[in-house]
Amino acid sequence: MRQGDYIRTGSRRANLRRLGIALISPVVIYMLIVMVFPFIWALFVSLTDKKVGSEGAFIGLQNYGEIMKDPLFWRSVLNTVIFTAAAVLLKVVFGVVMALLLNERIVFRNLNRALLILPWTIPTMVSVLIWQWIFSDISGVLNYILLNLHLVEERVGFLASRSLAMGAVVLVNAWRGIPFVGISVLAGLQCIDGTLYEAATIDGANVLQRFRSVTLPMIKNVTILATIVTTVWTLGDFEIVWVLTKGGPSNGTQILSTLSYTYGFMNMDIGKALAVALISFPPLAVLIHFTTKRMLDQS
Amino acid sequence: MKRNTWIKWIVVYSVLILFLVIALFPVYWMANTSFKFQKEIYNPAPTFWPHVFTLSGYKEVLFDKGFLNNIKNSLIVSCTVTAISAVVSYLAAYAIVKLDFPGRKFSSKAVLYAYLLPRTVLYIPLYLFVSKLGLSNTLWGLILIYPTFTIPYATWMLIAYLKSIPAGLEESAEIDGCSKLQSMVRIALPLSLPGVMSTVIFMFTMCWSEYLYALVVIQESAKKTITLALSNMMIGDIFAWGPLMAGSIICTLPVLLMYVLSSRYLVTGTTMGAVKG
Repeated sequence: MRQGDYIRTGSRRANLRRLGIALISPVVIYMLIVMVFPFIWALFVSLTDKKVGSEGAFIGLQNYGEIMKDPLFWRSVLNTVIFTAAAVLLKVVFGVVMALLLNERIVFRNLNRALLILPWTIPTMVSVLIWQWIFSDISGVLNYILLNLHLVEERVGFLASRSLAMGAVVLVNAWRGIPFVGISVLAGLQCIDGTLYEAATIDGANVLQRFRSVTLPMIKNVTILATIVTTVWTLGDFEIVWVLTKGGPSNGTQILSTLSYTYGFMNMDIGKALAVALISFPPLAVLIHFTTKRMLDQS
Repeated sequence: MKRNTWIKWIVVYSVLILFLVIALFPVYWMANTSFKFQKEIYNPAPTFWPHVFTLSGYKEVLFDKGFLNNIKNSLIVSCTVTAISAVVSYLAAYAIVKLDFPGRKFSSKAVLYAYLLPRTVLYIPLYLFVSKLGLSNTLWGLILIYPTFTIPYATWMLIAYLKSIPAGLEESAEIDGCSKLQSMVRIALPLSLPGVMSTVIFMFTMCWSEYLYALVVIQESAKKTITLALSNMMIGDIFAWGPLMAGSIICTLPVLLMYVLSSRYLVTGTTMGAVKG
């Protein structure tokens, strides 16, 4: 090594550091201006009585206070929890089953995988419209099928009663989201060493025992991760509920995101709408923080 | 043992068929409806294939409802956002993976955090921001805010792809006299191209399918994107399901095409064989 190399390595390291900062700065600047700044600004706006099209006056925590006293807000919190819990449960159970299926030596495995991922790839708006048509009580195909199988006596208004409407939005959300869990878990399954199964079989384990003692522990981490990511996304769902039911009937499917939109863009009360959106942020932030940690640990 | 295997396969294939029916029936139903006349659509007993085949739904949605304009709007926004996001995200991901600088760990965490943050938290702040800048009802407004979800996604994905490139290749290029920037463009970029392509394709579909931000930013019908135009067709008591499903098919096709393309990229591993074990 020549003498000058030491100095050159030092300045090379400083250069690379500068290069790193230069390369990441567009993203950092963008995120500061278009994400962080509007978010902090919105925190202040939530303390005003701003309406769409007019400036607001400072009213302190009044928006938050009103929301906390509003039974509709608490109803939406409950609905959000029910919606998320039901949809995530369906997605995880069916997602794991889908992964197990695709991990078997079935015919046309790649084609089957592509077909089963289809619901995840088509635009959400499209899937909502299709399901709305399937659920329709005028010539909807689901009613036709149920009537012909004699499962119902007369046409059902799937989006007309509170509990059925909740079931319907959960179903559409789950239909779209199952492939995400399925593909994530499949990736975990494909990392399992086949000899583990052989060893378990030699030890006399049957199918269920092998599943419990080999498969389950090996896919546990990836399944948990997929579950929490799905939970965060389901908590943030808006489109499916809004387009299918607008939060109705009689607020039966009103979740926090649709309530916030209704306050802000139907009643033009931006301050209150922000308060609803921001009040759900702290629990979400905890969940995201937890997810982030897990994802970074695994990668 | 033999009987057990039989039972297992019967179970596996029955469940598979059930899954395929649930996944594909709605898609088939969309296509089926899109080729029917309104009269057949509102038949009390639905027909499982169009008895009278027609493209009138497509004609109506494309030419009478101005869908072509909505498609153009969506294309402009999706392509611009995807191209810009791809470049800046690649640079950021490269810096996070290959270079050491203060705040590196924090940046990768922030990117992931932003990726997971639901749009329902940010949509009003972004609406206020866009309105303040006077960009409501413009495609520029969407182009400005869509990267809030594409950049974190792309950066996060590209970090993973860049990590999988063996360091040895770039090191040897640098010993041969390449600068860091040169090796980034000439070595790392071609090697991570399959990853870049599938990230680009997915970003495009994210923008193409976006609804909430467009809903609050755009009110003028001439500026509406394809998802807004679709949801706007649901007015009145009896929906025109023919044109609606035709529009849905049109909205799905580019995404499907992209998806078929990306699955080709996903199986091509360019790095394989570049460094001998």
